[in-house]
Amino acid sequence: MSAPHKPQIAKADAGARHLRRAAAEFPAAFAGLSQVDRRDLLKVMGASLALAGLTGCQHDPAPEARPYVRTPDGIVLGKSRSYATAVTFGGYAQPVLGTTHEGRPTKLEGLPEHPASRGATDAFTQAALLGLYDPSRSKGPARFGQPTDWGSFESAMTANAARLDGQKGEGFRLLTGAVTSPTVGRLIEEMLRRWPRARWHVFEPVNHDLRLEAARLAFGRELSVRPRLDLAETVVSFDDDLLGPGPFQTSYARDWGVRRAAYQAGQGGSELLTAEPAPSLTGAASQARLIASDAEVDRLVVALAAALGVKGVAAPALPDRQAKWLARAVAALRRVGSAAYVGVGPFHDPAIQALGLRINDRLGALGHAAVVTEPLFKAPPDGAGSLAALLADTHAGRVDTLAILDANPIYAAPRDLDAAGALRRVRLRVHMGLHEDETAAFCHWHAPVEHDLETWGDALAIDGRPSLIQPLVRPFYAVRARSVLLMNLQGDLTADARTLLGETWRDKLGDLQSAAWRTAQERGFIDEPDPAVAVSAASGAVTLPAASASSAGLTVLVRPDPAVWDGALANNPWLQELPRPFTSLTWDNAVAIAPALAKRLGLKTGDVVRLEAGGRVVEGPVWVMAGQDPSTVVLTLGYGRGAAGLGHGVGFDAGPLRTAAQPWRLEGATLTALGRNAALATTQDFTQLGDFDFVRTAPRGDVAPKPAPPPPASFYPPKPESRPQWGMTVDVDLCIGCNACVTACQAENNVPVVGKAQVAKGRHMHWLRVDHYEAGAPEDPVFFNQPVPCMHCEQAPCEMGCPVNAAVHSDDGLNLQVYNRCIGTRTCSSYCPYKVRRFNWFDFTGGDPPELRAARNPEVTVRSRGVMEKCNYCLQRIVAGKIEAQVAGREIGDGEVRTACQQVCPTNAITFGDISDPKSQVTARKAQGRNYALLEEVNTRPRTTYLARIAPEDADG
Amino acid sequence: MASQDAALEAGYRRVTREVTRIPLAFPHKRTWWIAFLAALSLLALYFVSAGMTFAVGIGAWGNDIPVNWGIAISNYIWWIGIGHAGTLISAMLLLMRQRWRNSLNRFAEAMTLFAVVCGGLYPILHLGRPWFFYWMAPYPATMGVWPQFKSPLTWDFFAVLTYLTVSAIFWYIGIIPDLAATRDRATRHSAQVFFGVLALGWRGAARHWARWRQAYRICAAIAVPLVVSVHSEISMIFAAGPIPGWMSTVFPPYFVLGAAFSGFAVVAIIATVTRHAFGLKDLITDLHLDMLGRLTLATGMMTAYGYFADVFGALYGGERYELHTLHERFFGEVAWAYWGAVFLNFVPLQLLWLRRWRVNPIALLLVGFSVTIGMWCERYMLLVTTLYRDYLVSSWGHFWPSFWEWGLFFGSIGLWLTLFLLFIRALPMISAFEIKEATFEEEEAEAAHG
Repeated sequence: MSAPHKPQIAKADAGARHLRRAAAEFPAAFAGLSQVDRRDLLKVMGASLALAGLTGCQHDPAPEARPYVRTPDGIVLGKSRSYATAVTFGGYAQPVLGTTHEGRPTKLEGLPEHPASRGATDAFTQAALLGLYDPSRSKGPARFGQPTDWGSFESAMTANAARLDGQKGEGFRLLTGAVTSPTVGRLIEEMLRRWPRARWHVFEPVNHDLRLEAARLAFGRELSVRPRLDLAETVVSFDDDLLGPGPFQTSYARDWGVRRAAYQAGQGGSELLTAEPAPSLTGAASQARLIASDAEVDRLVVALAAALGVKGVAAPALPDRQAKWLARAVAALRRVGSAAYVGVGPFHDPAIQALGLRINDRLGALGHAAVVTEPLFKAPPDGAGSLAALLADTHAGRVDTLAILDANPIYAAPRDLDAAGALRRVRLRVHMGLHEDETAAFCHWHAPVEHDLETWGDALAIDGRPSLIQPLVRPFYAVRARSVLLMNLQGDLTADARTLLGETWRDKLGDLQSAAWRTAQERGFIDEPDPAVAVSAASGAVTLPAASASSAGLTVLVRPDPAVWDGALANNPWLQELPRPFTSLTWDNAVAIAPALAKRLGLKTGDVVRLEAGGRVVEGPVWVMAGQDPSTVVLTLGYGRGAAGLGHGVGFDAGPLRTAAQPWRLEGATLTALGRNAALATTQDFTQLGDFDFVRTAPRGDVAPKPAPPPPASFYPPKPESRPQWGMTVDVDLCIGCNACVTACQAENNVPVVGKAQVAKGRHMHWLRVDHYEAGAPEDPVFFNQPVPCMHCEQAPCEMGCPVNAAVHSDDGLNLQVYNRCIGTRTCSSYCPYKVRRFNWFDFTGGDPPELRAARNPEVTVRSRGVMEKCNYCLQRIVAGKIEAQVAGREIGDGEVRTACQQVCPTNAITFGDISDPKSQVTARKAQGRNYALLEEVNTRPRTTYLARIAPEDADG
Repeated sequence: MASQDAALEAGYRRVTREVTRIPLAFPHKRTWWIAFLAALSLLALYFVSAGMTFAVGIGAWGNDIPVNWGIAISNYIWWIGIGHAGTLISAMLLLMRQRWRNSLNRFAEAMTLFAVVCGGLYPILHLGRPWFFYWMAPYPATMGVWPQFKSPLTWDFFAVLTYLTVSAIFWYIGIIPDLAATRDRATRHSAQVFFGVLALGWRGAARHWARWRQAYRICAAIAVPLVVSVHSEISMIFAAGPIPGWMSTVFPPYFVLGAAFSGFAVVAIIATVTRHAFGLKDLITDLHLDMLGRLTLATGMMTAYGYFADVFGALYGGERYELHTLHERFFGEVAWAYWGAVFLNFVPLQLLWLRRWRVNPIALLLVGFSVTIGMWCERYMLLVTTLYRDYLVSSWGHFWPSFWEWGLFFGSIGLWLTLFLLFIRALPMISAFEIKEATFEEEEAEAAHG
């Protein structure tokens, strides 16, 4: 928080003018605090006030700061406040309820009323909070990489705008990321009206271009098709990771969880069949998973189309295994009529995807289990918004001014487009974004934008409902809203983000003082889904892509990363340290290859290889991925960033392999071992389930309540029978392994990040981990995910082992760790059969910069070096619930206290509550036949129990 | 008769001279200094490693989740175990009136004391917050919190503290008469004062002897059960945990016998080395080597039974996780520790069935080293193979000790060597008066006979 403390603002009266002059003279010294006038000064002091509390005892507040004596209206010290807002991801709004403590956002929850969230979020949204506090965020405008002030930026833009006005915007180009924001869309439209010769381009590295193209092929125009997994009783996924990471995960997983829960209760079916070249969360949750190469998946789509009678498609010949899977898929689809959905992966050939849409049409799913709407993204009006077009024009010297907003082509653009060479030919390059990233380094100007949690704006959620983005906190730094920057580009220096937002919604909600506006702001979104479009696939002939000559080489598939996505999140430590699904890899990406291929090439996990395709080369460590197709190699995006704070130099960049024509799939690749070995840091080194029964499967019928068996004998006296008695169930059948709970727990409980070296030593700190298991041969295993928080054993070995009474049991059944009593003998962890305890091997928190300290939850103690810590069922939430109930003079209601993991879980796999209450949800779940305790035989009597996965109902598996 | 008395008198004087000359006019000053400097440099390593651990935290070591306890704890058990032999030799054999113990007991006791110091420091070093180690003690804390008495670590705290106290007192009481003898022979004033203070005014009066004998025997009677209790208790640190490979009822006797075994091995090393270095063949005779060999063999075979019982228990129980831990011990990542323990502990040991090897100092020395290292492997094996692969496959891990852990280990050997070298340099390391007493009694018996 250097900026608010830096200026000598005591002599403000005389100072404002001098300061302004000084700032103009020495912009570097005044980065983040230009143009101090009296009002700004108060703002800054407000910020330092808000931040003074979090810097702890190490820094005294600035002498000029005034203590928090008179609380502002509506603020109760120590009490959190929540605001409905949204953060954007991949252009889409992720509706959230942001919690603030004394003005600091500390936690994001899903917006309960929003149909796309219903209270859940994914890991990305949880981690978005940390993006706000990212110490590597740019703190003020920069020119040629040197800090400058907004005044200089404004004058440069004004001059340029005047020039552009004269030539109707000739030579001006705007490059943005994907835009769903109605306000940004409106402002761009207005800009293009003002400068008709200017053009707008969109570059989103992980985009839906092929999806839209497929819709055009199938329906004759670009439309967006979205499955309703709550209605689809049979879902067939052709390499379409519906439950996997991405902007849709929360909503889709929520829907799928609703369907699955109904199925568990005996209502309707829930069958998921997947054919895919590499394991995905969808594949792991499937009842029938078929390993098939990319080309084979295409062929299977054609075969399914033929089997279902889509016109103009001839059935290809299939190998036995595939034919069997397909027969099963056909039967499952036929069984449910229109309550079916067939998804084809977003990176497959548009013609194949279009065929998928035709199949859905044929099944009658469109308009039922699949919603068709107009595309949500604002696209450039001339339809030629691709980056390729922009860079071609740039190379041709037709671009004179380039403004880049939220895009990083230097890092993310396919290398054959030569973005760097193109940019160098532009006379004036302006970069607007959160970070001084690789592209900013190529630009004359860098204008920092506000984080979603400190800005005014709007965006569409994936269901088309507009979310209103309101600031939870005033900007920490000298940053500006995107809408304001778009106006600045046009020489408008008076624009205000809230006013611009209000103008967009004036027709619908009235002015900013209206009741409708206030309601919308309080709710966080406008409940107005995009109207569904009734369509039918064009009856035209189906054109299929020519089957690629199956070359001897390998097929490389490039995918977004489950943790850092396209690289924009690479400097988020929570995400970098988030164990990736299947691999539990952290702080790295890898070249994923099949076990058979690894055996053939004599490779093992960690061996560095050179991957060559079309003369282009990347080098990286191998990961031997169970259940992957032997001819397929999978790379993920987002690593090897050149400038991304923490993410700098983490992993290797898959970019050099990609071309504009083939960004997602490359044929004929070769692998060469380099004889080197790279250390990869994982949180789980062993995944073979063997004949252990940690994760159990049960037949579907086994949901009927069963009588509780008598508790086994124990030497210890029974626990007191007071109420409530807390307990938890985790439904392994519903868990998709999305990691949202892990990040939510990290955010809620101030769980430190330890870095790659410590993770490699087995010292990661996650209180809640998602164990991943493979059952069966590594070539084609069944995958299981099992979230493991503390079991809160009634007969806890840790409590017996602790010599100083630091591990104790509470009357309401919690196994608690008293940090300030702990002396760190680690006996508790040695005795813990579940190894859920985490030790502060070093001082993991003391070195945090003040920005990161500000992100901490003040309700939770920050642990010092040498003490043990672990899950405590979110004790702070239990206590808050207890206090509230006591104040109201009632008992705590069922569902009133929700743990962070439970709250965030998109599939409702986690249930928490009072097990002494016979009517509580958790009691009902524990009574199910599927209920089992992990390591029951150790007789620790865990309060956390699991519900077994429901076995697939077929016989032939 | 007079000449016989004179001969006996001369014999006594020789014993006293032989024993007390060592601290008063040390024979191998050069060798001692070299050994002492080596010990001091190891001790410096100890201080640096401990300083590093205190400064940054346990993270300096190789520990992780699941291997919360690494070689710090295995060394702790190893050291305390080694200490057991001293008490056994001194106290148990004193009570059983085994006269031959008299040549061995003094340095065996010193060895015990120093080994307990080396071992006893580990539990403090390994704490996450070592500055709060005293929270293990039941003192009237303002927080009103007592130790948690169900915890084996609390028992451990008491057990080791008691053991250290009793060992120190027993050793000190035992050395008083010889301190007085040394005082009387000292020529330098400083030595006279030093030994004079330590001798607590001992004049060898009959009353002194009577009181002394009482005190010594009472201490011995207290010390003997401690040998059993301390290592039984230490085994509880493992056996009380519900972790496969630990929760076994054979652990207490297994640990006690293993401790005595390793201790006798170390006594054998010290006996053979000092005998050679200081030419004490008259005092440490073949009889002593023979007895040490027998004790080592006996406790060794009992320890072997512990191994057998442990394996048998796992196989007979047929419990999945126990079997898995057994498999890990036999064939896992640290199988070297298991097979190292089995081989080093029990294979060279078999030599000691024959008297000619038992009385061969070189053979005894080598067996002693083999067992000492073997028992270290055993402690390491019991700790690591159990923790690094316990129940859940997902939490299986690895353990690679860091430089600082090894530094502490070799440093603790330096600490022990430093203390022991100071002991042999400064104090009478063999109980002169007891040998004299034994000699006298032998003569008496002979006289009565003849």
